[in-house]
Amino acid sequence: MSKQDDALALLAEISGHPAAEIDREKDLVADLGLDSPKTLRFLVDLEEKLDVEISDEDAAKMSTVGDILDYLVTTG
Amino acid sequence: MVEATTLIEALELNAARRPERGIHLIDGRGRAGEGRRYPDLLTSFQAAAARLATHGVRRREPMLVALPTSREFIEYWVGGLFHGALPVAMAPVGSAGALAVHLQKLDDVRTRIGAGTVVCSESLRDEARAAGLEELAGACVTAAELDALTPRPDWKAHRAEPDEIAFLQLTSGSTGRQRAVQISHRSALHNARGIDETIGHPLGGPASEVLQSIVSWLPLNHDMGLIGCLFLSLIHGFDLWLMQPKSFLARPLWWLKHLGEHGPTLAEAPNFAFQLCVERVDPEAARDLDLSNWRAAMTGAEMVRPETIDAFCERFGPVGFRPETFRPCYGLAEATLAVTVDGVARGARTLSAPAGTDHGFGLTDIVSVGQPLPDTEVGIFAADGTRVRDGSIGEISVKGPSIFSGYYNDPEASAECLVDGWLRTGDLGFLDSGELYITGRTKDLIIVNGNNLMPHELERIAENASEGGGSRRSAAFSIADGADGERVVLAVEVSETDADRLATIEREVRLGVGHTVSVPLADVVFVRRGRLSKTTSGKVQRNRVRQQYLDGKLERLTVSVPAPTAVEDRDTPQ
Repeated sequence: MSKQDDALALLAEISGHPAAEIDREKDLVADLGLDSPKTLRFLVDLEEKLDVEISDEDAAKMSTVGDILDYLVTTG
Repeated sequence: MVEATTLIEALELNAARRPERGIHLIDGRGRAGEGRRYPDLLTSFQAAAARLATHGVRRREPMLVALPTSREFIEYWVGGLFHGALPVAMAPVGSAGALAVHLQKLDDVRTRIGAGTVVCSESLRDEARAAGLEELAGACVTAAELDALTPRPDWKAHRAEPDEIAFLQLTSGSTGRQRAVQISHRSALHNARGIDETIGHPLGGPASEVLQSIVSWLPLNHDMGLIGCLFLSLIHGFDLWLMQPKSFLARPLWWLKHLGEHGPTLAEAPNFAFQLCVERVDPEAARDLDLSNWRAAMTGAEMVRPETIDAFCERFGPVGFRPETFRPCYGLAEATLAVTVDGVARGARTLSAPAGTDHGFGLTDIVSVGQPLPDTEVGIFAADGTRVRDGSIGEISVKGPSIFSGYYNDPEASAECLVDGWLRTGDLGFLDSGELYITGRTKDLIIVNGNNLMPHELERIAENASEGGGSRRSAAFSIADGADGERVVLAVEVSETDADRLATIEREVRLGVGHTVSVPLADVVFVRRGRLSKTTSGKVQRNRVRQQYLDGKLERLTVSVPAPTAVEDRDTPQ
């Protein structure tokens, strides 16, 4: 699985929304219903799974699913 | 024993009295690092203070610390105190699109309190610059830059007076409304001593004598994290095990593991944290825990829910957690931290909710949050300002040495909540046999996951969303969601009836709220103009709107269904 697939699978698990419904435009809070505990759980899960570190400022910039996928592309 | 009269003296005495203890940071994988002992920390606080002097931080000047829980936060926040500046901790940046709002808040607070220096990370400064906040970026200094400075050689620790303001605590609130609570050395010491005594009392002595450590994930800008964990340790000499809030929220198991590993332990957290442990800790993994050394679990900062206490005891009882470990408490930043603490330790005690209890919180049984701290008086007042008898509900008011002296640079707001020597808390409750029970709030405050949200901040988003231009009226309020605590509902008056248009407004409201406070809305209710209850002066009555919502009497707008062609027009692929 690619990093992007890993991220989408985690989002589906944590938000409870089926993976098929999670497209790039979805907003983490408004559409997927992630409150801050859930968002942080997602970030830490992702960091662990991909062995990356996401800075607080980078995390604070990601508001949509697309933002996350693009971030994973830029980090290689 | 010599009694310290300022925080600086207390830290110096503690380093001499408990040289073997100190602060241990837990990393992002849940592992504890080396730790630093109090004598070593004392030296680092003095060095940090002397470097802040070199940097040009002036005494009596507010100094913002916008760092996550880290060595740098502790050194420069406490260093600021040693220097005689007024350190102020800023909440860490939220996630999911919250950066822009965070920077704006930071800049706003900086301007309002006149802080010349903001200690922060390199990336925060870069983001401030990228956002065009040049003045903010100019005030920023990183811990690494401070570390590289030569301490000013003539620097001497500030000789503070007990009644001098030691530091500021920011109340939660929207942009432009955050207030800075002034806490004196005397108040901070009084509160920490009161907690140490009251928590320790049923265990056979001051908590710092009977217990060994505190394990905390609470953010250090939160009064419970700053006073209840960091200062309680720095003053009374607990071993402090500190993890990032992020680590706990993602991995609650790590908090519980550390609670079992560092001798007799104290921990503090809001109700939602205990609920999170019940919901998120895998029962299989929980079997390896040993919570028998966890001797006091203070629960406060939001409504204490009996169902959470029961669920936690049931889940973690088999691994040694005892019901009497729970010590409900009540407090607020304006009282330094704690007002009442359960000093009996016989398990959570409840009374059935009397008439007049706020239904919005969904409480049928109310947990006692304990007795007032030593030298602290709690009075319950009716709306007309008279004191009510035991058992009657009224506004909780507090008197005593822990009460703040006012909001920094805000005499008007100070005069509103300090009346005849009483701190008017804005919380509702009653006294029974000397114990306090919380039943609701007069102030329109929403608490989600231990974070305070101001309704008017959310309403402003609704009123301005999608070309609203601030002309709409709305009401934000919270409703109970069982053990999950409070959830937020927004009721909005609109003149539009077109379904598409309303969907656009709703989405903008949800996005705006999500990116401002990281909270998903439970419901957005559109009503016709003029349908929200208002006072004669035109102020929206949030409590009445909420009651109507709960009773199903808030009339939802019937939307006009758009013509099929309109749907097709809209339905073009993006």
